[in-house]
Amino acid sequence: MKLIFDTGKCTGCKLCELACSAKHEGVFNPRKARLKIIDRYIETGRETKLKSCTLCMECVETCPTEAIISNGKWLTLDEELCTSCGICVDACPEGLIYMKSDDLPAIPDFCQGNPYCIEWCPQKCLILEVE
Amino acid sequence: MKSYTGKILRVDLSRGEIAEEETREEWLGKYYGQKGLGFRYLLEDIDPTIDPLSPENEVVITPGIFGGTIIPNSGKLAITSKSPATGTICDGSIGGTIAAEIKWTGYDAIIVKGKANNLVYLYITPDKTEIKDAGFLRGKGTRQTELMLKKELQDDEVKVLSIGPAGENLVKFACITSELYRQQGRGGIGAVMGSKNLKAVAVRDGKDITVPDMPSFLSSLREIIKESVLIPDNEFLLSDGTWPFGDWMLEAGMIPTRNFQTGISPTYERLRSELKDTFKKGSKACVSCPLACGNYIEIDGISFEGPEYESLNMTGGNCQISDLKSIVQFNRSIDDLGLDSISIGNVIAFVMEMTERGIHDFGIRFGDAENYLKLPEKIAHRQGIGNELAEGVRFLSEKYGGKDFAMQVKGLEIPSYDPRGAWGMGLAYATSDRGACHQRAFTPTPEVIMNEIEPYTFEGKARLVKDLQDYNAVKFSIGICDFWGLNLDLLAKLVNMSTGSNLDSEELTKAGERIYNLGRIFNVMAGFRRKEDILPERLFTDPLPEGPAAGKVLPKGEFEQALSEYYRLRGWSEEGIPSKQELEGIEVDKEAIEKFEKYLSSTRYRV
Repeated sequence: MKLIFDTGKCTGCKLCELACSAKHEGVFNPRKARLKIIDRYIETGRETKLKSCTLCMECVETCPTEAIISNGKWLTLDEELCTSCGICVDACPEGLIYMKSDDLPAIPDFCQGNPYCIEWCPQKCLILEVE
Repeated sequence: MKSYTGKILRVDLSRGEIAEEETREEWLGKYYGQKGLGFRYLLEDIDPTIDPLSPENEVVITPGIFGGTIIPNSGKLAITSKSPATGTICDGSIGGTIAAEIKWTGYDAIIVKGKANNLVYLYITPDKTEIKDAGFLRGKGTRQTELMLKKELQDDEVKVLSIGPAGENLVKFACITSELYRQQGRGGIGAVMGSKNLKAVAVRDGKDITVPDMPSFLSSLREIIKESVLIPDNEFLLSDGTWPFGDWMLEAGMIPTRNFQTGISPTYERLRSELKDTFKKGSKACVSCPLACGNYIEIDGISFEGPEYESLNMTGGNCQISDLKSIVQFNRSIDDLGLDSISIGNVIAFVMEMTERGIHDFGIRFGDAENYLKLPEKIAHRQGIGNELAEGVRFLSEKYGGKDFAMQVKGLEIPSYDPRGAWGMGLAYATSDRGACHQRAFTPTPEVIMNEIEPYTFEGKARLVKDLQDYNAVKFSIGICDFWGLNLDLLAKLVNMSTGSNLDSEELTKAGERIYNLGRIFNVMAGFRRKEDILPERLFTDPLPEGPAAGKVLPKGEFEQALSEYYRLRGWSEEGIPSKQELEGIEVDKEAIEKFEKYLSSTRYRV
């Protein structure tokens, strides 16, 4: 499972990030979103890209207590096994995992297969690909 | 209160002091956020008669109630100051992400006063604020300033408000830029930043914003966006941005051309079609906005956002520049230098007409693209002829003549809507709190776009202008962009959902009046009276020569009558001074009324 991103259609409105942090954490704060849209002007023009879970398994493989579990479609955290060591935060190549206020890592999980961000994207530039 | 942060950041650049204080909660209940809160703090903190470029003036930055939330069209930030162009109070808004970023740093307002010894920038994060040396940014354009600050702070995601050379050199129409192409354009607040030696404000998010009931907030918003925002009437914003306003103005024969000598542009249709069909590559939204009115273009290897309608026409047809590449090059240059497109389009058109009429030779005539392209640099750096052009149309007309066709009100140049084709706009420009502004009461919508009312009359226009001003005053205070025409019932619902309050549209209507009157109090104290609520003579004497509004001119007597009617509706005297009774009726706070009463009793001026 992954999110496909239509770069040309994204307007950079961040509604997806806001919806994500609101749903998962009950607050508006893009730093607490489990996906990241970058849409900014750089020296050479405009840069638009999506950072979302690619199921690369880096976090799963580096977790010393095997607390992050993949079902092949998305990841989940076994809170009993997690020791809040934070290794997964550094391991995520997309920089998407962060430690929540309850000292547990926020693991991107595609909302268990039904990503809420997609519902909010007004330009429909986020598409869920199910393999 | 939810959605507010409850904190204000104060920076005194003269003393190098940074302090936090609690937001005055009683003011939030009366003036809400952006415009209103900015007005109230400015009225409290400064003497309205001060020189706008003195250290005593303040720059008040207010992100509003909705900034940083998922509420659509809430991405605007208000910046309020005493304007060096007009001497009035002046709030301007800027889009992009900056309003939300400031909210996420944890402030309802950032208030900057004083003057730093050296060029500095502010770096504001949720943890601390620093005043940092900006010597390395001196003379840099806004594009370089922003990109260099990201490097300096080693943070690509930092958001920046900055001025270009125009602001540093105190050009009267210097603007403030964010994300390269978003501007707080009008009134020269960029020069106020420059006068404080404040090159930029860099902010970085981090804090949460909460609402009373998130699940129901989200489900309500989903419905509201579907029912009221993403509707067919608004689709043009995504596909065309603001360009259709030019189509409508052309159709009404009121698109300013050759310094308002005619309302028919021979080039507009071609220019906007070329932009859309050939060069538009995508749309750019402010944060939380599903409408995305920003036009991202690429033209011969140059990438750019815009030029939007105002810029396209004021720096295009109004100067009779017909080559799109020149116009885009010019606009990219003024964005970088930090110059307001509406004002510079007027300034250049004015000196072109002065030259053609033989009143004074400024060395540039209509259509002279070569010299036109040289002027932004000269103005921003105050070189040669640019030094005087930097003072704006009013100054030039007072020094060299041509007052009758100096297209400005209170020192602010007129935007791209000729009021001879929609008379309400004349009254709107005259009574706007910051001089000639189209965003206080945009009457062309009912007059010529929707064709709901007769455009060539002042009958009913006093009421229309007042109602629109009040509506926008509260809408721009709570923090919703111009392009979402929501009604006040819905606005009240959004405030209630965000803050847990229990407002209704009646209160919001009253709040709009309250906020508009607060601006008037400031302006009266700054010396403004009826005689300043006037328009340039051309609009009263020169009939439009062609098109659907051919022969139309504003009848001065009827204009004056409408102005008197407008004052009566507002409860103001014939001289435009609010009465104590009226201010109490709309519940302006006691301290503000007392301050105003004290001023009135200390002047020899009789109400």
